[in-house]
Amino acid sequence: MGLSFGTKAPPTALSGEVEVSGLGKKYGVIEVLKDVNISMAEGEVVSVIGPSGAGKSTFLRCLNYLEKPSSGTIAIGGARVVAGEKLPDKASLDHLRRVTGMVFQSFNLFPHLTVMENITLPQRKVLGSSKEQAEEVANQLLKRVGLPEKAKAYPARLSGGQQQRIAIARALALSPKVMLFDEPTSALDPEIGLEVLAVMRDLADEGMTMLVVTHEMHFARDVSERIMVMGNGGVLEIGPSRQVMSEPQNDRTRQFLKAVLDR
Amino acid sequence: MITQLLTSIAQGVGLTLYVTGASLLFGGLIGLVLVGAARSPIAIIRAAATLYINVVRVIPPITWLFLIYFGLPQYALRLSTLQAAIIGFSIIASAFMAEIYRSGLLSIPDGQREAAHALGLSPFTTVGHIITPQAFRVALPAIATYGIGLLKDSALASTIGVREITYYAQQSAKQTHEGLLSFVVAGALYIIISLVVALVARRVDLKLRRKIGVL
Repeated sequence: MGLSFGTKAPPTALSGEVEVSGLGKKYGVIEVLKDVNISMAEGEVVSVIGPSGAGKSTFLRCLNYLEKPSSGTIAIGGARVVAGEKLPDKASLDHLRRVTGMVFQSFNLFPHLTVMENITLPQRKVLGSSKEQAEEVANQLLKRVGLPEKAKAYPARLSGGQQQRIAIARALALSPKVMLFDEPTSALDPEIGLEVLAVMRDLADEGMTMLVVTHEMHFARDVSERIMVMGNGGVLEIGPSRQVMSEPQNDRTRQFLKAVLDR
Repeated sequence: MITQLLTSIAQGVGLTLYVTGASLLFGGLIGLVLVGAARSPIAIIRAAATLYINVVRVIPPITWLFLIYFGLPQYALRLSTLQAAIIGFSIIASAFMAEIYRSGLLSIPDGQREAAHALGLSPFTTVGHIITPQAFRVALPAIATYGIGLLKDSALASTIGVREITYYAQQSAKQTHEGLLSFVVAGALYIIISLVVALVARRVDLKLRRKIGVL
């Protein structure tokens, strides 16, 4: 396979939940993302791994236009956007943001709002839900992430792991079709990270389509169906998780895996 | 003697508070427009706002007052002393308040905007519900400090004849020949007002901090 970029969709996913093709991003002349392709079936979990500076986060952030890609096509859960010089029309961008939920490394809860308000504000503003509807959804989600008693707390009163679980609940409240996780446990100590990983594992079991940028190799191997390895702004290889972990095809992948697994 | 001076000089407290409060209010509102303009995508609006903020801040308050009170009538715009003082201090406050807001906005981590974007919140909701409330909390101590500074600057309004604390102190000094005592009384009044403002701001700040944790 060598250094050939690009991927083949699994045979079961001819028109998948996620279809990204030729995604690229340039800052001036510097190409930070080049020709990234991925196709995911509904309910599939893909982990994105690779060294720092490989473009993992940039890739994820381009998918919901937190960063503007320079080229390529993004189709997620019925929303479709073609990247180019100009920003796509607002309706397609809004649609894209509606079908994706994102979880950040630094949680990014709104510190001036309670946990309940963090989860209900987006529902009310984006979906137009009533206060009662939004609170009902929030209460269910709080139970689901195991923090029903924290509704009235402010984020500063919660541990990092709790904050991240609330952030997941906040994203889920808008019923996204695909969840994007950008190193969700990197800011947490390993033990606390486990509680977040457990929530993500449940989510995967319930059939959520997930794209997870992570350094958690156990999660990548055990929870995700496939692993995409990135390096230098491109895809080094992508394949079934266990296969990529045990028999990496690419030299750079081998080197990276050796470094993370031998520590 | 001192009670006589106090009752006479305290007559100025109303106008001192009025000039300070009105200028802080109008300046605060114009400052909001300015800080928005300074971040406008249109370059000329941005440049104009930045120029305004920088020019206004380097001209001394007394120069502003004289410019407005003695300068404008030349162009048939005659203002009362009180109007001139409030307009002058509002202009000055607007530039300083814009800078205070700006530092408040800069203190909000990018992640807040990113989370709002990812959740699909509109720019309007993001500014109104996410950015502004947080920026205000950060800016509150600076606003209180500036308010106290403005309170002291408002003494300059006496130079164009606004009957505030310093004006009455001057009058009392002339009439009673108790110059030292008159201005000591005036000074004490300024201290009392400043203390009240500082205490209220501190209480509000502490309350917010206790509620949401240190920002």
